[in-house]
Amino acid sequence: MLQCDFIFRLKGILEFACQLDNPNGVQSQSTISKSFQDLRSKVTSKNIVFTVCNSPVLIWPNTGFQSSVESLTEASACGDILQWIESDDGGSKKSSKKKDKKKSGPTVVNMKLLFEVTEPAGNTAPSLIRVSTQQHCVKMPLPLDCALSVTTDERLETVCTGLVEALNKQLADMEEVVLQYRKGSSFLVPQPFHFQLPEPAGLITVVYPAGVPDSQLQAVREDLHRKFELPCDRPYLRRANAFHFPDAAYKDGYLRNPHIHLNPPNIEDAKLYLVQGVYSYHHYMQDHVDDNGWGCAYRSLQTICSWFQQQGYVETAVPTHTQIQQALVDVGDKEPRFVGSRQWIGSIEVQAVLNQLLGVTSKIMFVSQGSELATKGRELANHFQTEGTPVMIGGGVLAHTILGVVWSENTGQIRFLILDPHYTGGEDLQTITDKGWCGWKGPEFWDQNAYYNLCLPQRPKTI
Amino acid sequence: MGRSYFVDEAVGEYLSGLQAAPGSCVTGLLAGQSSPQRDFVVLAVQTPHRESEGQLKAPKGVSPLDDIDVEWVTEHAKQVSRMLPGGLCVLGLFLVTPPELSKDAQNGLKRLIFAVEKYIIKGRLWELSEEDVTDRVTLHICSKTKKLLCKTFDVKDPKSSAKPADWKYQTGISSSWPMLTCSVEVDLQIPVTGSSSDNTDKCMKDGLRRWAKQIEAAYCLINGRQALDDSELISGQKKNPKTTNRQTLPARIFVSDEQSELGERSSALVQVCSGSMRVRGVVHCRAYIHNNKPKARHAAQAIKRDIINTVCSRVEMFLEDLCINEGSQKGLCSGQQALPRRVFAPMPISGLSVCDYMFPDESTADVAERLKEMLDCETPEEDIDTSLENNQCVALAAAIALLATATSLLYFS
Repeated sequence: MLQCDFIFRLKGILEFACQLDNPNGVQSQSTISKSFQDLRSKVTSKNIVFTVCNSPVLIWPNTGFQSSVESLTEASACGDILQWIESDDGGSKKSSKKKDKKKSGPTVVNMKLLFEVTEPAGNTAPSLIRVSTQQHCVKMPLPLDCALSVTTDERLETVCTGLVEALNKQLADMEEVVLQYRKGSSFLVPQPFHFQLPEPAGLITVVYPAGVPDSQLQAVREDLHRKFELPCDRPYLRRANAFHFPDAAYKDGYLRNPHIHLNPPNIEDAKLYLVQGVYSYHHYMQDHVDDNGWGCAYRSLQTICSWFQQQGYVETAVPTHTQIQQALVDVGDKEPRFVGSRQWIGSIEVQAVLNQLLGVTSKIMFVSQGSELATKGRELANHFQTEGTPVMIGGGVLAHTILGVVWSENTGQIRFLILDPHYTGGEDLQTITDKGWCGWKGPEFWDQNAYYNLCLPQRPKTI
Repeated sequence: MGRSYFVDEAVGEYLSGLQAAPGSCVTGLLAGQSSPQRDFVVLAVQTPHRESEGQLKAPKGVSPLDDIDVEWVTEHAKQVSRMLPGGLCVLGLFLVTPPELSKDAQNGLKRLIFAVEKYIIKGRLWELSEEDVTDRVTLHICSKTKKLLCKTFDVKDPKSSAKPADWKYQTGISSSWPMLTCSVEVDLQIPVTGSSSDNTDKCMKDGLRRWAKQIEAAYCLINGRQALDDSELISGQKKNPKTTNRQTLPARIFVSDEQSELGERSSALVQVCSGSMRVRGVVHCRAYIHNNKPKARHAAQAIKRDIINTVCSRVEMFLEDLCINEGSQKGLCSGQQALPRRVFAPMPISGLSVCDYMFPDESTADVAERLKEMLDCETPEEDIDTSLENNQCVALAAAIALLATATSLLYFS
């Protein structure tokens, strides 16, 4: 869990430009480095300005801290900046909606990097300088993106100095990436990604070359895993693992982790075992597919696939019903006419598709009677602790997704966190949590007489 | 309901003082500022006499109206536009005719006003926004009765017909208009592809256009306050039209390198160039804004347009000059040359300033001559302010001297 109160995020585009006489010659490297050096001078010059988005605040970080607002001085705490920021609904950030929901994380203060072109050092009227040698003119926008996690009482001046240092370091990292992946006059844009690592590393930024897939960056990640002492069996630094800033919306429209808005049941002596990471909520009627009455297992499978995609294990998109059915035909589990049908699938089929499309293996757990599920606390707790993947459960005539358990080793009391794919409404978090489409259920939730199969997906051991 | 033109009395005096040879016409420009509610005219200038290039041309048409040299009027309009600081522009034309030609005057004015507008906007690096007023005024004056007929045409619509407008005289219209100023550092690196002189021009234009977009999108502070919304430029001050002090409001401009066409690239843009051009130096900019509750963002727009215009004008002038001097050899020779630098002079009567551009080999006498010809006003040379932009030659000479000293030190050590 993040222990900071704020994340200051500074974004801006700096244009990298250089002229190369001979892109393949020995001189070109020093020409490129010189251009980066000029950019580093630019960000340490008096002309750079940070503007705080949605506010009238401008800060000149390199002139002994000056701001456009009198009350913000070098002694100000960074939290003071909030009163100047207008949130999207017009009110100030202090009047945020407080409901009986968990805090959604640190407050993000977005800033933009600008350069002043007025107040110049000299006064000499312009000249035109013409050069007529054959050259390769290279231009590339560098998408600078620096983030700092801080506590409320940190001084604003320290934050700004820290951001300038971060800009400098990012330019140095970008120079390294550009030089490493350059082929003659072909340059790849260096792109920064932020990752939230376990303490003490915290929020770090890594620059990757655009267009080079994660699979080709294995060696880079191995180095970084060593440097930050990260476990070597699960991904932390794939692009999909990039930190999702609390204030950013997801473009695809699916809800992420609706369960975090719920309070777990208060059971004496019990511990909480939850899914790790991020998944999307897939349910009936989404994507213009009317699967009401037959698609519940497909939707649970989609939720599981979304988990593997967002943890960085796969780059393929979440499969459609048709793609799921085709995969089953491809492995010989179903006849070709299965594709396009409205046939129900179960845990075994889910296991087969996860293997076929994602290369993921799963364990199957069989329970002969619904009432027995209450005794599976230890297995489920272990699963969530080691694998932490969502679990698909099918039985009776229904399929659901289990996202966690509250279980007491001593008393055996258990509750199940259920994500229900039978919901037919829109992506309304309020309805979904209030009406229990994502909610904590007791052992009586299961059909006590039916038998159930559970599919427990296993994490591949890879970074 | 037509537009209202508030005109400085001095303009009225100028117009009544115009002498037209019997039976002939006099054309001229009207300059000032338009705002959504009303328009202000602060300058009138008759079209200067054109030195004939050879024999006197025989009158073309039946009427002196046909003899109006449209090309010359539009050229004059363009030259005067270059001399106007931000916020001010050529708002329209006047035409003095003898009574017998009054009927046909409207058609003549309409032809002229569209021609002038078309010529002025050629080569301009910024587009009119939706809020810009596109009505231009035409003033017809009968040389015998001195009667004024004021109408407007919407230059956005070639089919538009004349609409009536009010022409009201007032004293000291612009005496308390605030003046925005700033000095802007320019450093543009423009690659040149191809080798013909047309290519050079096009590359220069493209490069300047990209820079102009950056300036238009830039963040602006006026007098220390953000200037992007509908807030008033000067709030908390009693509006007193009788005050004669003119406020000077410093403007600050902040750009980002964001260019939408380079937005989502995964690799660099590489062009093989036959060379490059660099425009480097500091330009001094000015803009005026009326004081009838002006909005901050209109003021920001005025100063930004001045920044763009001043760089564009001097590059244009330099390249035109080059064409005349280097002729067919214009292309790419290497070297550093000074662009014409901006000087300011007081405008006739209104208290605003106008500007001109001085080539390195010119003096204030040349500027005074141009002001006389283009703006029909006498300006004492000492009133021409050349201090706002430093002479490049001084800097170059200093640099050469420094280099010489350094070299000799090295030699002797």
